[in-house]
Amino acid sequence: MSRFLDSPTVRSIARVVLATTAALLLGFVITWLVSDDPIGAYKALLLGPVSRLNRFGDWIEESITLTFLGLAVALVFKAEQFSLGQEGQMVLGALVAGVVSLFVPLPAYFRIPLALLAAMTAGFLWGLIPGYLKAYLDANEIVSTLMLNVLAVKFYEYLLTYYIKPPNAGYTTSEKFPVEGVLPSFFPPIPGLENLRRTFVNQTNISVALYLLIVATIVVYYLMYRTPFGYELRMVGANIKFARYGGINTKRVIMLSMAISGILAGLAGAHLAMGIHRKLILNIQYGLGFEGIVVAILARNNPLAIPFTALAYGYLRAGADVMERTSDVSREMVLVIQGVIILLVTAERILPVVQKRVRARRGEDEDGAPPETLPPAPAAAEKGED
Amino acid sequence: MTNNIVEMRNIVKIYPNGVVANDGVNFSVRRGEIHALVGENGAGKSTLMKILYGLERPTSGEIFVKGQPVQFRSPLDAIAMGIGMVHQDFMLVPSFTVAENIVLGMEPTRRGLIDRTEAIRITEELSQRYGLHVQADAVVDSINVGMRQRVEILKVLYRGAEILILDEPTAVLTPQETQDLFRSIRTLVEQGKTVIFITHKLREVKEISDRVTVMRRGKVVGTVLTSEATREELARMMVGREVLLSMDKPPQKRGAPVLRVRNLTYVSETGRTVLKDVTFNVHAGEILGVAGVEGNGQTELVEVLTGLRPATAGQASVEGKEILAATPRAVRQAGVAHIPEDRLNNGLALQATINENLIVDRYYRPPFRKGLFIDQQVVVEQGERLIREFDIRTPSGQVPVSSLSGGNMQKVIVAREFSAEPKLLIAAQPTRGIDVGATEFVRQQLVQKRTEGTAVLLVSADLAEVMSLSDRIIVMYEGEITGVFPDAAAVTEEELGLYMLGIKRMTMEEMEAVL
Repeated sequence: MSRFLDSPTVRSIARVVLATTAALLLGFVITWLVSDDPIGAYKALLLGPVSRLNRFGDWIEESITLTFLGLAVALVFKAEQFSLGQEGQMVLGALVAGVVSLFVPLPAYFRIPLALLAAMTAGFLWGLIPGYLKAYLDANEIVSTLMLNVLAVKFYEYLLTYYIKPPNAGYTTSEKFPVEGVLPSFFPPIPGLENLRRTFVNQTNISVALYLLIVATIVVYYLMYRTPFGYELRMVGANIKFARYGGINTKRVIMLSMAISGILAGLAGAHLAMGIHRKLILNIQYGLGFEGIVVAILARNNPLAIPFTALAYGYLRAGADVMERTSDVSREMVLVIQGVIILLVTAERILPVVQKRVRARRGEDEDGAPPETLPPAPAAAEKGED
Repeated sequence: MTNNIVEMRNIVKIYPNGVVANDGVNFSVRRGEIHALVGENGAGKSTLMKILYGLERPTSGEIFVKGQPVQFRSPLDAIAMGIGMVHQDFMLVPSFTVAENIVLGMEPTRRGLIDRTEAIRITEELSQRYGLHVQADAVVDSINVGMRQRVEILKVLYRGAEILILDEPTAVLTPQETQDLFRSIRTLVEQGKTVIFITHKLREVKEISDRVTVMRRGKVVGTVLTSEATREELARMMVGREVLLSMDKPPQKRGAPVLRVRNLTYVSETGRTVLKDVTFNVHAGEILGVAGVEGNGQTELVEVLTGLRPATAGQASVEGKEILAATPRAVRQAGVAHIPEDRLNNGLALQATINENLIVDRYYRPPFRKGLFIDQQVVVEQGERLIREFDIRTPSGQVPVSSLSGGNMQKVIVAREFSAEPKLLIAAQPTRGIDVGATEFVRQQLVQKRTEGTAVLLVSADLAEVMSLSDRIIVMYEGEITGVFPDAAAVTEEELGLYMLGIKRMTMEEMEAVL
């Protein structure tokens, strides 16, 4: 049991839960100040995503996108490369996945894998560019990835407006994807459960991306912690001079870390296009561009924790939607709560410093391996899993 | 008693985890003396000083400062009593200027704003008074380590310290900077300050201190007048057994040349010629020592040979394999191992575990790599084996290297590089900043490798080390080899010094005969 509590995964989840609880309390105080019906409004935020099946679906769908983005960010941040290019990679992923879904006349079991593969390739290549620029030309990746994001978004809009949109359509959207190009429901057709399955299919768009996500999380974890490339990645992140001294080809690692991260962002795009919207729309990336960073930081770049932080953060976003639609509290207030959570959790450095001070005052051991994080509180951890 | 400015009686410090760091320590310092506190890592000297500075509270025991009993709750109390501590890791704000750092927390103000002119004036006045030269308006990020340390000392003096605790101040300094520091310390004492000097370098103890207290395993072994103790005696007190300060080397069995360097030239990015036509061989079974004042091209020589810097001209080969145009990995694959000079920056990834640090040169090949993965079991087993063989003091191989002491960090590097079974071992400053026990260990290992037939290139700023370990010595001055001594045992320190300072140099003909 104590080993379980000591594991980094459990700790990072526990930390998030604690911070969330604290932030939600603060959030309620704010709601109470601004709303005529604070309890009702706050209930919408806290329970909205599970109050109806379609809202539950929105939450899970959003969390899937966030997980892919979070994994993409964690991978590249682990190498201390601050690529912010997930938005562009995601948009291009959505674009090529959409094009394959719409226009490649293949049966579903070829078309869908092809579309996913195309999205992964697009993300890979769109990550390779800033990776190359950083590794060989020493171009700052923050600047280059942000610029490439703009390029990708504009390219997407251009193709959608002038080539993909049906000529006589009123809105700038593509045709709906044919059924061969839509990710099937996560719910397998089990005999006897047809009715339940139909309910899910009708009310939610939760697709097989859910399984893809589980696979992706495990793959990223193994890639990062069990393979030679993952070792290289982590050593470059820990101390690039040491990596070079030890014989690691650091330029290659920098380049590949950004490109492989792009694969996951590309998958996020494919999920948006083929799972959620089922057509290409303008601003398909709306509001998601940098959310992967939040998810990854909340999980401290630990891939196994990312699905959970994505679910937690996705829940907050979905709850915000419900609250905005059903109460007198604006979405801005929820953004305040989000800000508080991120502040509490990312201020991870504050905690050890405080502990150290307290210990110094008590005159205790300072050398004796100060616990890096707050000891996880089991009660709080369990509460948060509901 | 009246003479003692600091008196600590029966100090016991037991940490919550049960470690007894101080076990009935009695320690006193006289007014106006330079008192060295020595001991191996973990002997309890840092804990004792943290107690004196109010960072730790003793489990039991009494402290008197200037005859008054005191109980410090925090460093603020200690500072109020005139005690100041200069830590080993500098605690400066890198983006602030020297003057701003010095007045930080006690800033002179004018109309509620920081008076920068006054800060600079204060800094310059302090600097002059104590002979600690600093550049008041320079940003800390841009000044060298020696000056940063002087800033730390001035910071403490500005807060009115009369008793200065210097925690291993020379660990990060070059010999020249060390000499500067010693001059400053003497000035401080002349001005009536008292200095407690924590170190584990016995030579420095002899050079600077009036009295010395030796600690071992949480106890004081003794306090003696420095002038009445030899280095050997002090080393024995520290380690608790006889220590070989001079190495006994088995007779040399010199083999064929392993490393051949021909006309190696390196021009830095700024256009300075750092290495000029350097030519030498290192044979199997020999230690070739490179002597020289630091900054005469030794660092660059090592980095060029290990693939970390591109050479400008010349050749170098290991057993016939060209290594100058090669990547660091290719150099390693040619059979070169490298103990780097800057171990924190190059030699280790501090946040990574010991096991991870031990595989950086070999993770990609069997038995460490198995199929697509790194075989964790092999990694852990190697870790356990090397931790045992190289006596790395750690609870396990899964802890971050940053939790180790300096000596044990160096053992991690040594363990990795030696276990690579190199044909050529390049060791740069292999014992810098590590304690007597670890130093002895590293030196013995170097000699053993050489006796087993490895070629060793040893670069060290510690002349005594070069002389006692090497079979042959070359001297570098301004990027050139100015002298070659085929029999290291037959040369004196003074003779080497003349070549190191560029006063004497051999002709090409003289050198060619023995290179």
